[in-house]
Amino acid sequence: MSALPVTSHRSFSPSRVLAICSITLLELIRLKVFYILLLFSVAIIGSSLLMVDLTFQEEFQMLKDVSLGAMSIFTWLLAVLPTALLLPKDTEDRTLYTILAKPVGRFEYLLGKLLGVLCMVAIATVLMTAVSYVVLYVHEQSVIHSTARLVPPEQVQAATDSIRAAAFGVNLLPGVAVLYCKAALCAALTLFISTFSSSWIFTVSISVCVYLIGHVQSVARDAMQMKHPMGDAPLWNSLFLLVVTVFFPDLHIFSLVDDLAVGTPAPPLLIAEACGLGLAYTCGYLLLAYLMFAWKEL
Amino acid sequence: MSDPAISIENLTKVFRLSLKRETLTAVRNLSLRVEPGQVYGLLGPNGSGKSTTMKIVLGLVAPTSGATRIFGRDSTDVSSREDVGFLPENPYFYKFLTGRETMHFFGKLCGLGGARLRDRSMELLELVGLRDAAGRRIGGYSKGMLQRIGLAQALIQDPRLLVLDEPTAGVDPAGSRDIRDLILKFKARGITVLLCSHLLGHVQEICDRVGILDRGVLVREGPLDELISIENQTELILENASAALLADIEQKALASGARIVDSRKPQTTLERYFLDVTGGPARRDP
Repeated sequence: MSALPVTSHRSFSPSRVLAICSITLLELIRLKVFYILLLFSVAIIGSSLLMVDLTFQEEFQMLKDVSLGAMSIFTWLLAVLPTALLLPKDTEDRTLYTILAKPVGRFEYLLGKLLGVLCMVAIATVLMTAVSYVVLYVHEQSVIHSTARLVPPEQVQAATDSIRAAAFGVNLLPGVAVLYCKAALCAALTLFISTFSSSWIFTVSISVCVYLIGHVQSVARDAMQMKHPMGDAPLWNSLFLLVVTVFFPDLHIFSLVDDLAVGTPAPPLLIAEACGLGLAYTCGYLLLAYLMFAWKEL
Repeated sequence: MSDPAISIENLTKVFRLSLKRETLTAVRNLSLRVEPGQVYGLLGPNGSGKSTTMKIVLGLVAPTSGATRIFGRDSTDVSSREDVGFLPENPYFYKFLTGRETMHFFGKLCGLGGARLRDRSMELLELVGLRDAAGRRIGGYSKGMLQRIGLAQALIQDPRLLVLDEPTAGVDPAGSRDIRDLILKFKARGITVLLCSHLLGHVQEICDRVGILDRGVLVREGPLDELISIENQTELILENASAALLADIEQKALASGARIVDSRKPQTTLERYFLDVTGGPARRDP
C-alpha cells in the first residue's frame, strides 16, 4: 500500500464543501423530490385549459399568477421538507459520524448540506420557470393564430405585438428571483431548527410557525404603532415585538411577488432589497445553525 | 521520543439528562496512552463508557474535563482527524453510491482528488477484497461487505491511527476472520489500532494491550499477556507423547511438590472447525 504525501489541513476547504453539496444533491434527487414538478406542470397546464370567457390579457395574467403562486408553494415545500430530513437522517444512519470523523469542520458540513438543498431548489425553480414559459409560449401562439383569423391583415402585426407584450412581461423573472431567495431563507431557517430539534416533524412545524409569524409581524408592528403613535405602548408589548423583530424574519417584503404577478411593476431597488434580505437572513440562519451545531454532542 | 498515538489525561465526561437536573457520568477520570504501532483493545460491558471515550477521541463529543490528544494534536482540533480513520459500529453509507463512488466521496473529504484518489480507491478496494464489487451500489452489499468498505474508507487518507468500533459485529465467522486478518496487516504496516469490541476472543487474538472500562472507570489496563497469564501455572503441550512418558512426567511433577491441575487433549476452536467445514476465510461474498 503506497503512502500518500502529507498535506497541510486547511480549516475551510471549498472542495470538501463541494463534495458534501454534491452528495446532498444526489441524495435529494434520489428522494424523488422532483416528482413535485409533475404536480406543478399539471397545475399550470390545467389552469391554461380551464380558462374560458377571458380576454387574452386576463388569460396571460392568470397563467402568470398561477405560475408564481404555484412556484411560491413548491419552492417553499422543496426548501423546507428535504432540509428537515437531512440532519436526522444522517444522524440516524451514522453517516454523520463517518463524515465528521474525517477532517471536516462542522461549518463545512452544514454549508455543504445547505448548498445541496439550494442547488436542488435552483434546478427545480429553473425547470418550473421553463414549464411556465413553455405553457405561456404555447398559449401565446394559439392566441396569435386565432387572432390572425379574426382581424384584418393590416392589423395582424399590431395585434401580435400586443399579445406578445401581454404574454411575456418583464415581471416574471424578478418574481422568480425573489421567490428563490425566500426559499433559500426558509431552507436555512429549517436547517437551523433541525440542529436542535428532536424530530423532523417538530422541525417542519416550527419552520411553518416562524414562516407565519414572519408574514404577520409587520402587520402587528403597524397595528401597535397606530394604537400607540406616541410610543407609549406597555413595556412588555414593546419587548415582545422587539424579540419577534430580532428573531423572526420579516417576510412581508416578499409579498411584492403578488404585485409582480398581477403585472404591477416593482422598482428594481425593492426587488434587490427583497433578494438581499433573503440572502442576509440565509447567511444569518446558517451562522446560528453552526453555533448550535458546533456545541452539539453527537 | 515520538508522541503517543492517543493520549488521554484525566478525562471526565458528564452528560446532563434533558430537562432534568440529573447527570450521568459516562467517563470518570480516565487516563491512558496508546503507543504508535500498538493494537489497543478498549473493553467493557454496555454503558461502560467505551463509545463515549471513542467519540471524544474523534472530536464528536467534547470532554467535560481533561484532554485527549492524537499524535500530540488536541482531538477537538479538526486537523487531528487527518491522522485518524474511523469505522463505526454497523456502518451505513449512502446506499445510492457504488463502492467506488463511496471511496471517492470520503477521499474528497480528506483533500484527495484526480488520479491519486482513483488509484488509492482501487488499491484499498483490492486490499479489502471488494475490487469486483466496486461498481455495485452499497445498498446491495452484505453485512460483511459493508464492514470491509467501512475499513477501506477509514484508510483512504492513509491515517496513522484506526479507530474501530465493533468491526466484526454481525459478520459471519469467515468475514470476521477476514477483518481480523486485515487488522493484523494494518498492524504489520505500523498503523495504530484502537479497537472496541465485545468479542473477547477476537480481542485476545489481535490486541497487544487492553483497557477494561466499567461504569466509566478504567479498572484494568496493561499488556494483554501480562493481564491474562496465570503466574503460578505452566502449560506444556506435547505431540506424539507415549503413555509411559506422560506417566513419568506426572510422577516427577508430584514428587517435586507441583499439583497437576488438568491433563487433557487440546481442542481446536469452534471457529476454526466452522471455517474448515465451510471453506475457510478465503471464500468471500460475491
